[in-house]
Amino acid sequence: MTHTIGQSIPRIGARDRVTGAQKYTADLPFPGALHVQLVHLDAARLTIKKIRRDYAARVPGVVAIFTAEDLPQPMPRFGPAVADRPLLADPETRFYGEPVAVVAAETLDGAREAAMLLREHIDAEELPPVITIEQALDPASPLVQRPENRPNDPNARTNILREWTFGWGTPPDRAHLVLERAYRFPMVTHFAIEPHAFAAAPDESGVTIWSPTQHPFVLQRVVAACLGLPLARVRIVSPDPGGGFGGKGWPKFEPLLAYMALRLGRPVRLVLTLEESFQSARRTSARIQARTAFDSDGHILSQDLRTDFLVGAYADIGIRVVSKASYAACGPYRTPHAAVHARALLSHTTPSTAFRGFGTPQASWAVESQLNEAARILGIDAVEIRRRNLPRKGEAFIPGDTPADGDWEAALTKAETAIGWHAPLPPGRGRGISLGLKSSSTASASLAIVRLLFDGSVSVFSATSDMGQGARTVFAQIAGRELGISPDRIVLTMGDTAVVPFDSSTSASRSTVFMGNAIVRACVNIRAQLRGLASRAYGVPEDRVSVEPGVVRVAERQLTYVEVLRDGFGPPRGELVGVGEDRGGGFRPDHPLGGRPEFWEFMCSAVEVEVDSDTGAVDVTRLVLASDVGKALNPQQVEAQDEGAAMMGLGHSLMEELILDDRGRVRNLGALDYRLPTTMNMPQELHSILIENEDGPGPYGAKGAGEGGILGIAAAVGAAVHQATGVQIRELPLTPERIWRAIAQR
Amino acid sequence: MWPSTYHAPESLAELHDLLGRYGADARMFAGGTDVIVRLRHGHMRPAALVDLKRVRELSGEIVQHDGLIRIGARVTMTTILGNELIRRWFPTLVEAAAVVGSIQIRNRATLVGNVCNASPAADTVPVLMVHGAVANIAGPSSDRQVALSEFFVGPGRTVLQYGEFVTSLDVPIPSGFAGAAFGRLIRRRGVDLAIVNLCVLLEEGRPARFAFGAVAPTPIVGADATGTLDGTRDWTDAADEALRSMLTATRPISDVRGGRDYRSAMLPVLSKRAWQTARERLARASNGPAHE
Amino acid sequence: MSDQLRYQLRVNGKDRDVSAPAHKTLLDVLRDELHLTGTKECCAEGECGACTVHVEGDAVCACLVLAAEMPGHEITTIEGLAADGRLDPLQAAFVQCGAVQCGFCIPGMIMSARALLNGTPRPTREEVQDALSGNLCRCGGYSRIVDAVIKAGTAS
Repeated sequence: MTHTIGQSIPRIGARDRVTGAQKYTADLPFPGALHVQLVHLDAARLTIKKIRRDYAARVPGVVAIFTAEDLPQPMPRFGPAVADRPLLADPETRFYGEPVAVVAAETLDGAREAAMLLREHIDAEELPPVITIEQALDPASPLVQRPENRPNDPNARTNILREWTFGWGTPPDRAHLVLERAYRFPMVTHFAIEPHAFAAAPDESGVTIWSPTQHPFVLQRVVAACLGLPLARVRIVSPDPGGGFGGKGWPKFEPLLAYMALRLGRPVRLVLTLEESFQSARRTSARIQARTAFDSDGHILSQDLRTDFLVGAYADIGIRVVSKASYAACGPYRTPHAAVHARALLSHTTPSTAFRGFGTPQASWAVESQLNEAARILGIDAVEIRRRNLPRKGEAFIPGDTPADGDWEAALTKAETAIGWHAPLPPGRGRGISLGLKSSSTASASLAIVRLLFDGSVSVFSATSDMGQGARTVFAQIAGRELGISPDRIVLTMGDTAVVPFDSSTSASRSTVFMGNAIVRACVNIRAQLRGLASRAYGVPEDRVSVEPGVVRVAERQLTYVEVLRDGFGPPRGELVGVGEDRGGGFRPDHPLGGRPEFWEFMCSAVEVEVDSDTGAVDVTRLVLASDVGKALNPQQVEAQDEGAAMMGLGHSLMEELILDDRGRVRNLGALDYRLPTTMNMPQELHSILIENEDGPGPYGAKGAGEGGILGIAAAVGAAVHQATGVQIRELPLTPERIWRAIAQR
Repeated sequence: MWPSTYHAPESLAELHDLLGRYGADARMFAGGTDVIVRLRHGHMRPAALVDLKRVRELSGEIVQHDGLIRIGARVTMTTILGNELIRRWFPTLVEAAAVVGSIQIRNRATLVGNVCNASPAADTVPVLMVHGAVANIAGPSSDRQVALSEFFVGPGRTVLQYGEFVTSLDVPIPSGFAGAAFGRLIRRRGVDLAIVNLCVLLEEGRPARFAFGAVAPTPIVGADATGTLDGTRDWTDAADEALRSMLTATRPISDVRGGRDYRSAMLPVLSKRAWQTARERLARASNGPAHE
Repeated sequence: MSDQLRYQLRVNGKDRDVSAPAHKTLLDVLRDELHLTGTKECCAEGECGACTVHVEGDAVCACLVLAAEMPGHEITTIEGLAADGRLDPLQAAFVQCGAVQCGFCIPGMIMSARALLNGTPRPTREEVQDALSGNLCRCGGYSRIVDAVIKAGTAS
């Protein structure tokens, strides 16, 4: 029976997307729903003194205005790691965009007008905000969160939310070169083309929430905890997101909407503007101080990293970004001595959250740049220095943890060739190379249900979110392979916690592996059930029955699944339901991350640029990506993800940055002044190379993919700009102005 | 909160009447690409939106007569790009119009609207200014003409009084051989607002003219009195000095798009590049067929 | 509040009755009144291209057009491309070339590309890049989208 594993079959869901039929959350009708608008003010840090609601209340169609004093006391709080975020600011706002009130009205225009009037009638005192890493570390700065929120935390009277120390080995006695540098990574935002949109409706079971969330079960537990409801009474329906990238992973305004729906007894709907989406989610910005010691051959002797991440006003999942990225910050290199001191710092800024790469782009910017600079100083080729430090497959590079699990040298060599690393370089051009290594999921779990229906068609139930990576397609290919069925006879149901079983998240490039394995196991379970069914139906002992994809062998006969189902169930009909689970390596309480990475996501990025030294303008002439993916179940989808991730990397490398004023207001909200790559910024040539050694823990040897492309882009671009201009810049983005300034100051 | 009325007058008389009635509460628009954005952001709250596109006396045409090209109020950027007269006599206007937004914007945005919006960074304005463009203004009781060099008062502000509007722009056709070049600096390749923009016009026997945008409260235009920039000679130290002297009229600021020092530094870089291109074009015009 | 206007719009070849306040954009009316949700809202200020539709075949951002300006004009949305359930060649090319990921930018991309191909049936890559420079995509690297437009161009 042929299957489609390894083939680029057309994406399931593509047809609906090209015809406009695909329904995103804001496209769904919610008849009778109240329109909600958030009321937020023009500063980061304000103490609300008085809210006069009479003007707003008189707008026709206004049904409810809620401020902090209308909510239960103490104010309900939520958060995936720490429940520190209030439903409404109470009484102090902690970031530009935090709502101080919320309005519900029969019409959207009515809600907008009421929100505007409310905004104009709020008395508030503005206070100086903490918005930089230096300010957050300054003991004289105001505290972003109340010390009472963290009673047993020695850092409670600081803006250090948490700190960690990772490391191993002993410092070297001597070194040929010690390179000590500081790097900065800016605040950037996800800018998915779909702004966040939510709805909530009460019913007799409890409450249903619609949200394009990547992690429906996280949202379920966070809302349940916040509102004191059993999990079973909170239903999350998550339409496919129009782009997630981490920005739609962790709860934002759903708890507030759920509260409103239950209190008002009516459905409520909130669609954010693009500007509000920017205010809702961003990447954790960072300052990384790196002290790297090398011997004269370029071998790394020691890496000492101080990683300070500015997480924002609330922990969200930013707190986990810091620990996970810092733990593996030394990168895919033999590092005899490592000392990493990581800090998550609070600030009066948008709570940072997961964003493709989960802290690794920030760490790679520093560590890979260190290697590139060391290579120059030592007179060693930048590819060669990496070759000398790469662990071999099977070699542990973090003691006691998941060893190198791929032929990483192959990726490096293929990228080296594809970029033409040794070819002569025209004037004004430069090349750079980098490696990116990201820990995939540590302790997590995925469940899948597969139903083999009476006519041999199949339903698969999975809580993975298909946000553009093509999860539906890959899962259909897997089930098709396991059961010997064409993907067009397989239907995926996703994103409804009332229907699909538990899944930790769609993050960490984990779904192909974890959910893929769960689907395989569910199918294996179905095959086992078919075996029993056939045995009983034909009166043949099970040891003379074997089930393969699409075929059941009963003694000397060969039957289809449909025949066995028909003969096994008879006129009353029926179906087979298989359940599968993958919990990976499991939870390890003694591991700093709670578990070992299930696999490493590894990417080599190489780039060639041309720089106009008079203006600082950069053109990317060639970009090469070589990723170690184990097995590409759908190669076109993997390449498309790698390319998209790389484009995002070019964004933060060359043009993206949230610009704040000293009042903590973001000055470039929206598409006009937040510069995103367009068709005019495409690399002139782009090569995606997939290394497939079938050595991953997922189905058919697959690993995960989707984040690799973004990890090392910045350092590769930085090195290329240096070669073209002679200037090394250690903060991003490398805008024309920044490059010009560095050249002018040289 | 929002405009309460929408009007689409079909004649100048109707238009004048509407403007007279609403006064400061009326906001005219043609393409809508600036006005509707400002409405959304709450930067303006007019009671009446007045659509100019059905006023029959407002032309969507580009016509030549008496040594000038007249561009009607309803002419869009897309029309400019494809128009034979503009492509022949003002290729830099084509270059500038081609970078105003995206195709979607250019299909709606009008040249006159771009001028009246009076952004200091408007790309078409330096081109129009070096060519000596004049705005034809209709008012409730009389009409007048104002050269673009006098038209702008400040960011977003023009000499137009309430009840006045621009019916067309007149751009004189260069009488002799000419070469012009348009330049701009943006944050990254692609659709963007200019950090700095400029246009250089070299005409045989006349002083070189330079206009700069995004570096002062209004776009500014000046002519080189020294003669060192007229294109007959290579660039010299004296040319550097002449350019520096013209740039003293600029007052770049730091804003979210660029820093003051960067803008200041880029002005001579871009000016010189544009001048080189304009000089090459002047040479080609002088050496080639008189009117291609 | 705004005047409530009543007028007719011709959308995808059909005359539709509209009743909406004067300040509503074409995007608002297409999505909220006519329930044609294929056209998307993202930046609402003409920078992202997600709301691209055709007016007399020209690509425009529906968020920058008042619905009240549109009586008497031919409006085409993404829903108007596929005839009798068969995909327009451009739509088919997007599927084949792997140009579709999350899909949110796709209706706008296709409408911009369709307008280009209507006027320039065999565009160069540069022409495609320029024509789509007002359409933002965050999922992909744009190269597959450009491939799809070129492919659809050579197919017709």
